[in-house]
Amino acid sequence: MNKIKYFAGETWASLRKNLILAVAAIAVVTVSLGLLGLVVMGWNMFSNMIKNAERKVGEVDVYLSDLSTQEELQAIEAFLASIPEVDAKTIYFKSKDEALQEFKERFKDQPELWEYIDENPLPNSYQLMTKDPKDVGVVVGRINNEAPYRERIEDIKSASAAIEKLENIFDKFRQIGTVAVIALALVAILLVSVTIQVAIFARRREIGIMKLVGATNWFIRWPFVLEGVFEGLSGSLVAILVVMAVKVWILDRLIESLQFLRLSFSSGLFAVLVPCILVGGVVIGALGSAYALGRFLEV
Amino acid sequence: MIRMRRVTKIYKGNVYALEDVTLDVEKGEFVFLVGPSGSGKTTLIKLLIKEEEPTSGQIYIADTNINQLRKWKVPYLRRKIGCVFQDFKLLPHKTVFQNVAYAMEVTGKSRRLIEQQVPEVLKLVGLGHKLDAFPDELSGGEQQRVAIARAFINRPPILLADEPTGNVDPSLGEGIVRLLEKINSTGTTVIVATHDKNIVDAFRKRVIALENGRIIRDQDRGVYGYE
Repeated sequence: MNKIKYFAGETWASLRKNLILAVAAIAVVTVSLGLLGLVVMGWNMFSNMIKNAERKVGEVDVYLSDLSTQEELQAIEAFLASIPEVDAKTIYFKSKDEALQEFKERFKDQPELWEYIDENPLPNSYQLMTKDPKDVGVVVGRINNEAPYRERIEDIKSASAAIEKLENIFDKFRQIGTVAVIALALVAILLVSVTIQVAIFARRREIGIMKLVGATNWFIRWPFVLEGVFEGLSGSLVAILVVMAVKVWILDRLIESLQFLRLSFSSGLFAVLVPCILVGGVVIGALGSAYALGRFLEV
Repeated sequence: MIRMRRVTKIYKGNVYALEDVTLDVEKGEFVFLVGPSGSGKTTLIKLLIKEEEPTSGQIYIADTNINQLRKWKVPYLRRKIGCVFQDFKLLPHKTVFQNVAYAMEVTGKSRRLIEQQVPEVLKLVGLGHKLDAFPDELSGGEQQRVAIARAFINRPPILLADEPTGNVDPSLGEGIVRLLEKINSTGTTVIVATHDKNIVDAFRKRVIALENGRIIRDQDRGVYGYE
């Protein structure tokens, strides 16, 4: 108890001495963890939107092998029409040529993509809609397990192209966000370690005397570790406030005003996100002090 | 209490700080370590508290070979050895009481024990009335007494003093050594490194003389012996 009071007092005194640097370190921790929160919230919101959209669009594409004979194709088509959840009127055979034509149309600005193709690499396919969008999974499962000439079916796709595109965009968004969060977290660790280095330097005389009177290495180290962890934790608390403010004042309103997009947060998202930000702050602080202590405190 | 066997310390650039030093200091002895500056007195003290490692040779403190001491055990070695330096090494923003209490705090002593023992020891060194003064409000002699109180507060079996009278008014230097003698009389082994001829001659203790890193004389009830 005595020791805890001593460590807390030393930590507090040191923080006050390097106030500006400590505030800078806390700010960078806040920015990095706040960004983490925003990326996670944004990603969650859009992936829920995509899931909702997928449920709405009951489109299924069945890609066929070029080796299929006419009889095999007819058998597969008959099977597709016989699936109760499928809207039989919508079954459409898209030929290789049609697919290539579509491809050329889509990439007409990049003719190099198709100009030198001698042989059409695109497959024939059946396209169909389910009666109820939520049955897409059932239909895909039936085709997978029950279709005749199963070996002639090369692939089954249920997401529409638009959703796939969106997914690609959000994947990019998530990747860039992840890189930015990691980079900022590294900067935060470095800045925390700089404040600890300054604190060690400011107290070098005291450290020398502590060693002289027989303080153990960990007794000397603890106040610095606590200082780093305190900075990380403070930064993460502010980040949580920022994240919650953005949620309540911006994202919740966005969700409400853009209802047609069916944006939403997963239930339980914040029960995971908030502790993760806290732990992230502690880890950043601890790594920052560990780095400084390892390099600059010869004990 | 202290045994050095053929200890040599070579600093970078082939500088011999100590060469083939062998000596024994028994429990309860009072020893002056004398010699001109650069003769190796400070190096010898640094080796005893393991602030430096010998290049060769063995050092035993209370029958423990400190060369083989694990790094994490060094603080426990230093708790057995009180240290006093020429520049006092007091913390300027702490009071006299806090400076001495510090040595108890870092070794995890209870508040109650600190409140009880620090005034006692400060009284012993003659500063019982200056508990709340800051170091810069004290004379050199008084600051050194605070440093001695801090070195002695945990009752170490050994007390090392490196030029303890160097920054103290000459007329007060004798008082400092008399205080160390008082501590010695409680059973603590005391080694005082000094080049203060008057003091060494006045006390007539065992004298170990160093020159260029070698022991050139070791005599009981000796004098300084240099001109």
